[in-house]
Formats: sequence, C-alpha cells, structure tokens
Amino acid sequence: MTISDKTAEAATSRSTAPNGSAAGARASRRRIGFGFNKFSGLYLWAIVIVFFAIRLPQTFGTTQNFKIMAGDQAITAMVALALILPVAAGVFDLSVAANVGFCVCVVTRLQMHGMSAPIAILMTLFAGALVGVVNGFVVVRLEVDSFIATLGMSSILAAGAYWITGGQQLVGGVSQKFLNLGQNTLWGISYPFYYMLVLSLVLYIIVEHTPVGRYLFAVGGNMQAARLTGLRVDRVRAGALICSSALAGLVGVILAASLGSASQDVGPPYLLAAFSAVFLGTTQIRPGRANVVGTLIAVYLLATGVKGLQLSGAPVWVNGLFNGVALIFAVALAARGARRQRASNAAA
Amino acid sequence: MSHESALAVSGISKTFAGQPALREVSMSVAKGSVHALVGQNGCGKSTLIKILAGVVDPDAGGGIAVTGVSLAPGSPTASDRLGLRFVHQDLGLVSSLDVVDNLALGVGYPRRRTGTINWRAARESARDSLTRLGYSIDVSRPVSELTISERTAVAVARALDPTRSAPTVLVLDEPTANLPRSESQKLFALIRAVRDEGVSVLLVTHHIDEVFDIADHVTVLRDGRWVSTDRIEDLTHDRLVARMIGRAVEGRGRLVEAGSKSDGAIVLDVQNLSTTVLRGISLAVRKGEVVGIAGLTGSGREQLGPALFGAIQRQGSVAVLGTKLAAHDPHAAVAAGMALVPAERHANALFLDATVATNVTAVGTERFTRFGLVAAGRESADVDDWIRRLGVNPPDGKRPIATLSGGNQQKVVLARWLRNGPTILILDDPTQGVDVGAKAEIHQLVASAAAQGAAVLVISTDHEELTSLCHRVEVLVRGHLSASLPGHELSDSVITAATLAAASSVSARVGEPA
Repeated sequence: MTISDKTAEAATSRSTAPNGSAAGARASRRRIGFGFNKFSGLYLWAIVIVFFAIRLPQTFGTTQNFKIMAGDQAITAMVALALILPVAAGVFDLSVAANVGFCVCVVTRLQMHGMSAPIAILMTLFAGALVGVVNGFVVVRLEVDSFIATLGMSSILAAGAYWITGGQQLVGGVSQKFLNLGQNTLWGISYPFYYMLVLSLVLYIIVEHTPVGRYLFAVGGNMQAARLTGLRVDRVRAGALICSSALAGLVGVILAASLGSASQDVGPPYLLAAFSAVFLGTTQIRPGRANVVGTLIAVYLLATGVKGLQLSGAPVWVNGLFNGVALIFAVALAARGARRQRASNAAA
Repeated sequence: MSHESALAVSGISKTFAGQPALREVSMSVAKGSVHALVGQNGCGKSTLIKILAGVVDPDAGGGIAVTGVSLAPGSPTASDRLGLRFVHQDLGLVSSLDVVDNLALGVGYPRRRTGTINWRAARESARDSLTRLGYSIDVSRPVSELTISERTAVAVARALDPTRSAPTVLVLDEPTANLPRSESQKLFALIRAVRDEGVSVLLVTHHIDEVFDIADHVTVLRDGRWVSTDRIEDLTHDRLVARMIGRAVEGRGRLVEAGSKSDGAIVLDVQNLSTTVLRGISLAVRKGEVVGIAGLTGSGREQLGPALFGAIQRQGSVAVLGTKLAAHDPHAAVAAGMALVPAERHANALFLDATVATNVTAVGTERFTRFGLVAAGRESADVDDWIRRLGVNPPDGKRPIATLSGGNQQKVVLARWLRNGPTILILDDPTQGVDVGAKAEIHQLVASAAAQGAAVLVISTDHEELTSLCHRVEVLVRGHLSASLPGHELSDSVITAATLAAASSVSARVGEPA
C-alpha cells in the first residue's frame, strides 16, 4: 500500500467529521465526567458486589466465594492479558482460545506418552509460540487480514486438538507434581491466580514502561506514521501475535494442570469472555487504549455479575448471555469514546 | 452572444470567513468548444467549479446560465438537470467493480420486467457509450485493470449519461495530473470526441502545454479575479504564464545566504532514482545546504520524499554520507541519520489519539531507557526542553496532540526529528495548512538546523517558501529534474515558470509583464 492510498483513505474518513461547535460542546461535557468515566468499572463493580452481597449473604457474600471467583477467573484473565499485545498493535488474535485448548491437549498427551513434565511443558510452550509464528507470517507476509488469518488458525487448532485426543477426554497419565502446579492453593486461592498476578505485572511493565509498549501503540494508532518514523511495523505486528500465542501456550499448560484432564473443547469458551474483557478494559483507566489494569477490572466485573446471577438461581446459559451482551456493550462504549475523541479533534 | 454560450458566468463572488476566494468573476464557454481554465494554486479555480456543481453557495449577486437557462445556485440536482457534468481528479470510480457496474453507479441499471437487472442491455449500453468516446474496452473487466486514460474514459462516459438530462458542459478537473505523456494524448482524443458530440468541455488544468494542445479558448484566474479570456491562437506560452503569475513577485526576506554551498561534504547522494513517476533523478545535498524541490501535482514531487526514505518502491541508489541505503527500509534510513517530515501530517506523521509528548518521543525512545525501562522523568524533561525550544504552543507535553493547531502539530513533528540530530532532514510540504506566524517560525527552525550542519531537502508547492529558504531549487517536470535554479535567481515567479515549462524546453523562463 502506498502513501497516497493511505492519505486518500485518511482524507475521506476525516471529511465526515462533524461541525466544530457541536463537537466543542460535547468535548467540554466529556471533560466534566472524565474522572467518573475512567473508573466507572470500579464503581460498577462495587455496586454489583454490594447488591449481591445484600441479596445473598449466605452464598455470594462469603470470603470463600470471593476466593473461588479469584481462582476461577485466573484463566480467563490470562487469556485476556495475552490479547492485550495484539489489540494494542491493531491486530486481532482470534486463535488464542483455540490455542489454549490445543496446548492443554498437547501437554497432557505428551506426558501420557511418558515424557517428563518439564520437557512436555517446554515443548508445549514452543508449540504455542510456533502457532504465533505462522499467524505472524500469514498476516505480515501474506497480507491476510488478521481477523481472517486467526479465525482460520482457530479452526486448524480445533482440528489438531481433536486429532490429539481422538475426541476422547484424556484422563490420568500426568504426575501429581504437574497437577500441583495448577491445583495447590495459597491462602485459600489456587495457584493460577498468582500466576495471573505475575503475568499482569510483567505485561504492565512491558506495555506502560518499555519502548516496546510505545511501539505497539504507535503501530496500532497510525501504522503509516509508525512506518515513517522508521519503526519496523511488520516485526511489531508479528511479534505481538507470537507473544499472544506463546502466552496461550503458557495458559494451556496451567489449565491442563488445574483440570487434570484434557479434551478438545476446553479452550474455545474463553474467547468471548477474554475479548469482552479487553474491549471493556479499553474504556477504563487509560480510556481509548488496551491496558492491563482495565482488563483485569473488566474480567472480575463480568465474573462477579455472572456469579451473582447464577447464585440467584439464574440458569447456566446466563453466562453466555451476559458475556455476549457485555462484549457488544463494551465495543459500543469504546466506539462512543472514539467518536467523542474525533469530535474534540475536529473542534480543535 | 448568450444564445451561443453553453455556460455563462457573470459577476460571481465567494467569500470564505472574510477571505475573498472569487471576486466578480465572469466568463462564458462557447457551445461545442474546449475551454481551458488556468491559474496558480489558490486562484479560485476550484471554488468556481464547486459553485458550478452546486456544492458551494456563491455570494448574493451575479448569476450563472446554462444554454440561456438560469441556474439556481447551491443545488447539485439543479446543476445536473441543466446538464453540467463533472469528472474530478480522483475520477470517483470503484476500482474493484467492473466497467458496467461503475457506469451504473448513481445512474442505475436497465431492468427487466421482473425487476432484475438486464445484464445484456447494461453491457451493450456500456460498450456503446465507450465506443462513442473512441474506446473499446472489455466492459466486464474491473476498473483496477484499466489504464489511467481508460479509467478517465469510464468516468467521462458515466458523466455524459443522458438518462437524467442531456449533458451540455463537461467539467474536467485536473484530468491529466497523474497521466503519463503518452496517455494524455489519448485523453485529448477523448476530449475531442466529447466536443464533437456537441458537448462543451471546461478543462481545469495547470499544465500549460496541454492548453495549447487541446483548448480552443483559455481563461486565466488570479487571486480570485478574472484576468483574461483569449482564443488560443492569440496567445503564446510565455504570455499565458505571465498572466497566471501577474507582475513578478519580489523575493521576500531570505533566511539563507544566496549562493552555492559547494564547500560542504556531500551528505545525501542520489543516483538515478526512479519510481512509478520519477525518472532517473540524480541529486546531491551538502552539509549545511538547503535544497528545494518544486513541481506541479503529478510531476513526481509527491513521491520524492517517500522514495528517498524507503517508504515506497524505488530503483537507483540513495546514499547518506557514503552509506548506501536499502531500498525499502525506513528503519535503515533513520539509522543512517535521515529524517522525514512527511506531507499530510494527519495521515503520515501524527498519532492523533496520543499526547504531544508521545508524539515527540515516537523516534529515539531507546536513548532514554535504563535496564530496558523508559526513564520517564528524564524523557519528559527532554521533551519539555524541545517543546520550549521550538515554541510549541501551549507548551504542555501532556495535552492531546489533536487539540493543537496545525502549525504547532507540525512543530511537534519537527521536534521529534530534530532532537535526534539528523544528518539529512527531508521536509515534504512542511507548512501546508499552517498559519503565517507558525510558518515563519518553522522556516527559522529549518534554517538554523541547516546552519548547525544538517543537510536539508525542502519539497514544497509553496514557491515563496522555497525562495526564502533554499540555496538552490531543483525543478521536477513530468518525473524529470528539468532545471536547477541557483539561489540568486530565485523568486516565486521564476520557480512557478520553471514548473510550468514544457518537458521539452527545460530552461527556466521568466514571463514578460502581463
């Protein structure tokens, strides 16, 4: 794509900007509500907690319940965290959840064949990362839209998971040591929660405090401008996809250890919840950009809502309903924010 | 007289926010003639065309008549009904669709009684309307596979579609701006075919030689005023250029000493550079030298900056301080000390969602890291320093870049590069959409960067800018460097005349007084 193509594109998208005065009014209104917007998720979360704690003091409002939720959501949170890098760089990785499922099967199957846990884990991490290398190649070199490329990869990984398991649930064959990695608890909360905290911290530092974070947002913000500052845009995009896939491998290992079994259908359900969280997260803390803290707030806000509804006696399908509605709502919110941003740009 | 004119404009004015763009312009286009409308950038050509199209309302007073029928201003439908048809520079085609579909855009398809499209009739009528223009194109091919003149033919055929009303005047807005010479000959044949069907053609262009090739009459606008309308036989090339420029504009205050800088080391060495438009460009810029590049739209001027930087495909060699740069690698260009302030800063330079500071630090963040982490305090101190040094207003790194004026945004882009101490600074249309005050400040910054030893290449459509800023100016005409204007000869009108010169006569001409 040449520069002139890009500029033409930009020019047409810009010409639809609304007129200045209305935009100015909207922009000033936004400035008043800014502090609330930024932390609205936290407030909302508090309200949800208080609401269900009062209604269901015996079940919802217990320490035990919160400890369980913290552990249960660690996997979803880690899948969401894995998505932050590609989303920041403006590429989608729809294969991340299927990759988690695939890696659960790989790490379990390898151990059933008698491979020691450390070797099996290493090979699984490698397999996960390799998926990202293929994604990166297809998106950057073959110039396939990331949405399509990773959707296709998703299907391939699902097929791979089926092939590995033969459609059966794989049980046993893994050592107790391996299971301990996923099932031991500390202060009543299972280990994956702490893995998630460490991963959050690492990603937070990378995204907010290293040049790499800058590059991700530069590429995601304006790819053409990023290229014209000498950034190696292709490497950044492929790198983001490789990282998300490598993290999917890691999450796969942790999930396998905490489940103690493997089947081809454990990964995919995480996709929607994770994407909902990342997009809802872009409306929080650092509005307009994917960020670690916002994503975590979103994961636990959604989980708390679902849990409260379930304990109130809502049927199981409320989980999917809630996540679907939240995803649409989150993206609509983000789009509204972006529109306001554009409007205030036009006013300036 | 009036019954012979296809289009008569009388006393049309237009003022934008107190700035007059057109003042009492009157002109008429004879039936069945090709009428050229010429003038420099900002002379009011495009405003007049927009008024004709009904997109812009003229000021009260004055009138427009099409074949004697008065036109209600400000209504695209009214313009269309009277037969005014427009083909804009970008042609308005959908390149992924085929010719038949493009011809149907806005006009509709022939239908069968069942309501479905009668494809055979659609194909036949598409073929017919192109044949009438002298083109035989396979109408099932997507537009993206056609040559540029064939695409123009499709756009013209669509504009001339008679279903809505009989076309009377076809307005072609800069149709040859991106056309190679061989293709423009085909376009002229097309224009003659249109004229021979009895439709008048109003051709907006700034290629003077084309005017002499094709037009019957030519009208010159300058500073929003009508200057002259002549039969083409009564004009010479030089007299037409002189009318467009007006009296010679004296050079304003110069920022750099005129005269060559032949003593400095060669920093940028370009040999035989070619792109899709540029042909065999060789060029050298020395330490401390400011070299200007002038050229019309379509001359290759737009491609030079990106090509040097490795952002678009190129052939030939580009070397910085003797190191040859890889052909398609902006990263290597930056590593070699090259800096590019690109044209169209919103699309090509700014991260509009981010702050001023983030935009400044887009290049060279690595210098402010410790143990791999960005030392935020040290970096923001450096940013503040540069913001102050370049006079960015307001001097606040935390502000969203989008809230700054165009001139201040451009200063931020300059700061981004200057803080990395570039050895060769390339500026592409650096003061486009920048107010006068900020423009002068940007010029000062560029001049002082050169004084401190940077080699500078300024690519610009603003000839006053080139005059005040450059040691010499190289002129691009149809992809070739056609003239090199030394500093002491520079003036707005000399540069303009050189850009308008036909490719065959490369010497710069100074127009006689009008």
